[in-house]
Amino acid sequence: MNNETDRESVPEPHNPIGMDGIEYIEFATSKPQALGGILERMGFRLVARHRSREIELYRQGSMNLVVNSHPADIPRTVTPVERPVISAMAIRVRDADAAFRRALDLGAWDIPAHARAVELNIPAIHGVGESLIYFVDRYDEFSIFDIDFRAIPGVDPNPPAINDMHYFGLVQYVGVDRTLDWAEFYAQIFGFRQLPDAVRFGIMPKGLLLQSPCEKFYLQLIEPDGAAQYAPMEEHFQRIGLGTPDVIATTRELENRGIDFLSTEKVHTTERGALTVAMLGGVMFELVHTEDGK
Amino acid sequence: MNFNDFGIDSASMAGSLETRLNAARRAGFTHAMISATDIVGHPSSVEAAVQAIHDSGLRVTGLEALRDFEGLTGKMHDYKVDVAKSMLQLCSQIGGRLLLTEASSSVHADIDPEKIARDLRKLAFLALPMGIRIAFKGLSWSRTVRDFSAAAEIISLANCPNLGLAVDAFDVIAAGIPLDDLDLIFPDQIFLVQLSDFMLQEIRSNEEQASTAAHFRVFPGEGAHSEAIARFIVKLEEMGYFGDYSFDVYNTDYLQMPAETIADRARRAAEWLGETVLRRTLPVPNMERLRRAKPNSHC
Repeated sequence: MNNETDRESVPEPHNPIGMDGIEYIEFATSKPQALGGILERMGFRLVARHRSREIELYRQGSMNLVVNSHPADIPRTVTPVERPVISAMAIRVRDADAAFRRALDLGAWDIPAHARAVELNIPAIHGVGESLIYFVDRYDEFSIFDIDFRAIPGVDPNPPAINDMHYFGLVQYVGVDRTLDWAEFYAQIFGFRQLPDAVRFGIMPKGLLLQSPCEKFYLQLIEPDGAAQYAPMEEHFQRIGLGTPDVIATTRELENRGIDFLSTEKVHTTERGALTVAMLGGVMFELVHTEDGK
Repeated sequence: MNFNDFGIDSASMAGSLETRLNAARRAGFTHAMISATDIVGHPSSVEAAVQAIHDSGLRVTGLEALRDFEGLTGKMHDYKVDVAKSMLQLCSQIGGRLLLTEASSSVHADIDPEKIARDLRKLAFLALPMGIRIAFKGLSWSRTVRDFSAAAEIISLANCPNLGLAVDAFDVIAAGIPLDDLDLIFPDQIFLVQLSDFMLQEIRSNEEQASTAAHFRVFPGEGAHSEAIARFIVKLEEMGYFGDYSFDVYNTDYLQMPAETIADRARRAAEWLGETVLRRTLPVPNMERLRRAKPNSHC
């Protein structure tokens, strides 16, 4: 590295906040055990509990997944709260406070500290629907989970991933004619880039794909079509995408563990990808073929 | 184009919010522009106002109006951001998808177009997660953004998908702006079109325009400029505008008349525009005058 600005930590223009992947994804539900059962079958392990709130940390390989059942944190949505919803994503950035202030300057809504799941002062903004987006800058040697969470005795704190599964992306359902709005939101605040229509991953090709500036994560924005256009629907994160180098083997392993995959004429497992059935009224995971370690 | 493309403005009518919503509904309107004061000024509570709007079955054309937002710095900017957030929350509560924002007329506001565009972009971002669009409107008495073409330049500079224009027929007609100027803007940049006629044949000054705007507007077809309004709306249709039309009529006389009477007048205007001007069907009673006056018009 011989860039003259290295020592001043000047952000590269294409990665304005120094994004570096996903620290965790959070579900909110009043039935954490039911969701926990599904997560275990998906290969996650409960590794820690929050010191004072009803929040659990599941982990698998590089993936942190937080289950929040603290009453005050459950979003007030129209659907029953027993149904788990993806309530937050926490993104790794170079300087959380700087990224947060920059987002507020651009017009993001901040979240009062008391409404945040974790006790540390992790800045957060409003995302889609009732969900939040956290900015986390402590994730290397020392993580936010080392402070707020208590490890579960006798459990491997770093359980390996099934077939190198890792976070690939999130699918966000948006309203009619709302794709460009959200693409602009993610582009300006985080530096996400639109991918050309020809670039597709997995077996669910609809919508617009956005690539994170760190190239570690994708968002897929999907508008309703057909009759769904007229059904009232809140915008929300619909499912988590998991990357794996061998979709067929991963699917087989997960099926053995009790996860069912969709097998219809339109949607069924291929080498490119697979989609689980909806569990607990809406929890779905999508498998996407990725090269090793990507 | 049909009757349902036209909405009434609750500010055109007197009476309680419930009275005005009922009058709009009974006259056949399916959507109405709501003023923030309708909600926060409700004698019972904000919740009661929100409920009344939901119960009316009327779609909300938009919430009006955020004023003097852009161009401020420091504490004044922060204050206006708070005001904007509050209005956006109200808008969201009543199921509104559009916030009307009028160009600043404050002497404290910066006139730098870059700063104005940046502030409007921030406003659009505040509105974005809630699915609300910002319709920015030039005002003839603004120091910086006096008409739709100036507003369109700012919008282009800001370049945000949920930021667009509100075009007011009154401003175009009163200022004598050639209709061809509308060709400078893209139809999908127009989020709202406001329609009103007025009694004066000619407006001589900005002051007169401001006072006419505030007191002497009438519904399309009731004033001295029916033909100009007809041409205006035909032009927008030709351009491919497919959004809402809202009757932006403030008239102190109307506020001394029963809401039902005013809603009926608005209905006649909507019928005239929908059925006569754009569909060339039979004229509505009481509107023959317009046809007699201009037998050769393309209306």
